[in-house]
Amino acid sequence: MQVEKFYYDNRIVKNFAYATILWGVVGMLVGLWVSLQLVFPSLNITRYGSFGRLRPLHTNAVIFAFVGNGIFMGVYYSLQRLCKARMFSDALSKVHFWGWQLIIVAAVITLPMGITTSKEYAELEWPIDIAITIIWVVFGWNMFGTIIKRREKHLYVAIWFYIATLVTVAVLHIVNSFELPISLFKSYSWYAGVQDALVQWWYGHNAVAFFLTTPYLGLMYYFMPKAANRPVYSYRLSIIHFWSLIFLYIWAGPHHLLYTALPNWAQSLGVVFSLMLIFPSWGGMINGLLTLRGAWDKVRDDVILKFMVVAVTAYGMATFEGPMLSLKSISAVSHYTDWIIAHVHVGALGWNGMLTFGILYWLIPRLFSTSLYSKKLANSHFWLSTLGIVFYAVPLYWAGFTQSSMWKQFTEAGQLKYTFLETVTYMKPFYAMRSLGGTLYLLGACLMVYNIYKTVKSGSLVANEAAEAAPLLKDGEKHAGEHWHRWIERKPVQMMVISLIVILIGGAAEMIPTFLIKSNIPTIASVKPYTPLELQGRDIYVREGCYLCHSQMIRPFRSETERYGEYSKAGEFVYDHPFQWGSKRTGPDLAREGAGNLKKTDGWHFRHFREPSSMSEGSIMPAYPFLLEQDLDISNTEAKIRAMQTLGVPYEKGYDKLAVADLVAQSQTIADNLKNDSIRISPKKEVIALIAYMQRMGTDIAKPLTSQNK
Amino acid sequence: MYKFIKTYTEQMHAATIYPLFSLLVFFIFFIVLLYFVKKMDKATINEISNIPLDLDETTTTGN
Repeated sequence: MQVEKFYYDNRIVKNFAYATILWGVVGMLVGLWVSLQLVFPSLNITRYGSFGRLRPLHTNAVIFAFVGNGIFMGVYYSLQRLCKARMFSDALSKVHFWGWQLIIVAAVITLPMGITTSKEYAELEWPIDIAITIIWVVFGWNMFGTIIKRREKHLYVAIWFYIATLVTVAVLHIVNSFELPISLFKSYSWYAGVQDALVQWWYGHNAVAFFLTTPYLGLMYYFMPKAANRPVYSYRLSIIHFWSLIFLYIWAGPHHLLYTALPNWAQSLGVVFSLMLIFPSWGGMINGLLTLRGAWDKVRDDVILKFMVVAVTAYGMATFEGPMLSLKSISAVSHYTDWIIAHVHVGALGWNGMLTFGILYWLIPRLFSTSLYSKKLANSHFWLSTLGIVFYAVPLYWAGFTQSSMWKQFTEAGQLKYTFLETVTYMKPFYAMRSLGGTLYLLGACLMVYNIYKTVKSGSLVANEAAEAAPLLKDGEKHAGEHWHRWIERKPVQMMVISLIVILIGGAAEMIPTFLIKSNIPTIASVKPYTPLELQGRDIYVREGCYLCHSQMIRPFRSETERYGEYSKAGEFVYDHPFQWGSKRTGPDLAREGAGNLKKTDGWHFRHFREPSSMSEGSIMPAYPFLLEQDLDISNTEAKIRAMQTLGVPYEKGYDKLAVADLVAQSQTIADNLKNDSIRISPKKEVIALIAYMQRMGTDIAKPLTSQNK
Repeated sequence: MYKFIKTYTEQMHAATIYPLFSLLVFFIFFIVLLYFVKKMDKATINEISNIPLDLDETTTTGN
């Protein structure tokens, strides 16, 4: 048969590789900076540079900019080779590349401005959400176009992972982004409270699964055999691994919400499926490591294999630890602590980072038809990264255990042994050591930048790489007696549809009952909607990213009810669009900040926002002096009330017209209170609204419970 | 349609069917998967797992 000549598009791969490196360094730099802010709070410079605004920038930059571009780099390189075809459309490739970079730039601008939905790893506001959807479709179109015009009959295992990633990320992004816009830069989540939490963590966990894991497993299945020059250990295992992984992963979200107000049956489902996940995850790890069977001697000399081995080992460690952390008894200790931060960084720095570096060192010399400038530098990078991960993770594991045991410790007299602040100040040395680990890792990445720069200089880009292969004969039908999986392998659309069905089962089984069954979220008569001023204050709380350090979810443990008051009930959150449960307690829980023993005066809050350490010595919370200077924008109050009404919050009909008057009156009351406390401030300032929100928290059910307790 | 779904899901005992059914689906799916994977042809497996290595770039794959 006549072979066809064609050219692989290497320019697009190069562009994505450069973007990966650039955003990787940026993401790590922001990460290092926010870690230092926890040691030196004075590094919270201006409102745009406070921890609450920069931390989402770090997570988004690392996940969607560094790993995202890494995925596209690897997919655009491997897909062309695995399909023996050039990408479907150069124009689509370009739109995808520049569109994705623009989205990242939009994130870099909007997140420090405080434009956020407050849903972790989905903080970007609705116009950017729409842009992400469009660009994702462009990517899918380009990918499927390439698969359809391929010259290779079989779809290699890496491509299944790419297809599952494409379809699942689309579903996750769309379902979690249902929001009601009230202006160009502000929207409210369609869901409230418990349901919002379930959807968010279904998304959040599967962002880890289908953005940080499945596409990278696809890359592992392509680049590891390439680097080791031998086929994957077991193709059979890869089939089992693939289908089990995508089926099970989608159920695991509720393990982020153990002991919360989420219905118990949903928590249990999350635990069971998270535990089961260990098998397909380790199936993948074993398949990766055993690909090196008989070639372990190469690992000693080949720095690329070293990076890959550490990456796959880190994947194995993180996916062992994940199911363990999903056990309720372990979650009781680990949740809200720095243990979780250590866990995710073993995944991000170890699995994603190291695999990306390995692929870059393999890819760049090939794209530029040259050899790597310095293996020695790459080796130094390897050791700096590996040590960096150790120095990062170990202090935080230590911190996590310590923090949790300090929170839970009682004196012999039955009182809590430590104030929350004591546990915070105790953490500082661990945070400092963690920053050292991060610095080592970043230094390693800088060595790579130099090494790759010199490598690129020594070669020239092979923008269009010549290749030849015979065209694919038309034989789409299933032959009698042919294996069913071989049939699916040749049919990308079937593969996509079946993947979609497989991932929808888990999501639907958890969400439909939570949304529809009344008994899951018992209503509490005394829980009332927020006043307009409290609602505005809550939006400031969201804008400043307070949820990143403060939870609003008291778990039913004695150590928590003693410290924070009555444990949280599902019915308390029915008007919370979006929910603000948080996932980390760098600061104390705030669910009952306005009630019981925790209640403080308006003056205390005012002084605390102005300079936290003036009220709590040793506090590492950023100061918010600008809240005292900035006027509250009340022009959108009516629109906000109407939006809440649309979402089902029972404000009386026509209340939107009265809202501003109520807001002004409540502001005046707080300003008068402050005046009595010798603080003179205009009632129009933002801090007034935030104080109103602080004082509201936990008050709904405080009264009936007090009478019950009596 | 919505009313129909609502009637059957407002009660918790009806909803426990979802997770049980799903677990069963996964179990059957997994067993069937194992069975077929075991039955796969070894030559095909070798052929497919060598795709990334480009051992024979010009091999006709259509027949």
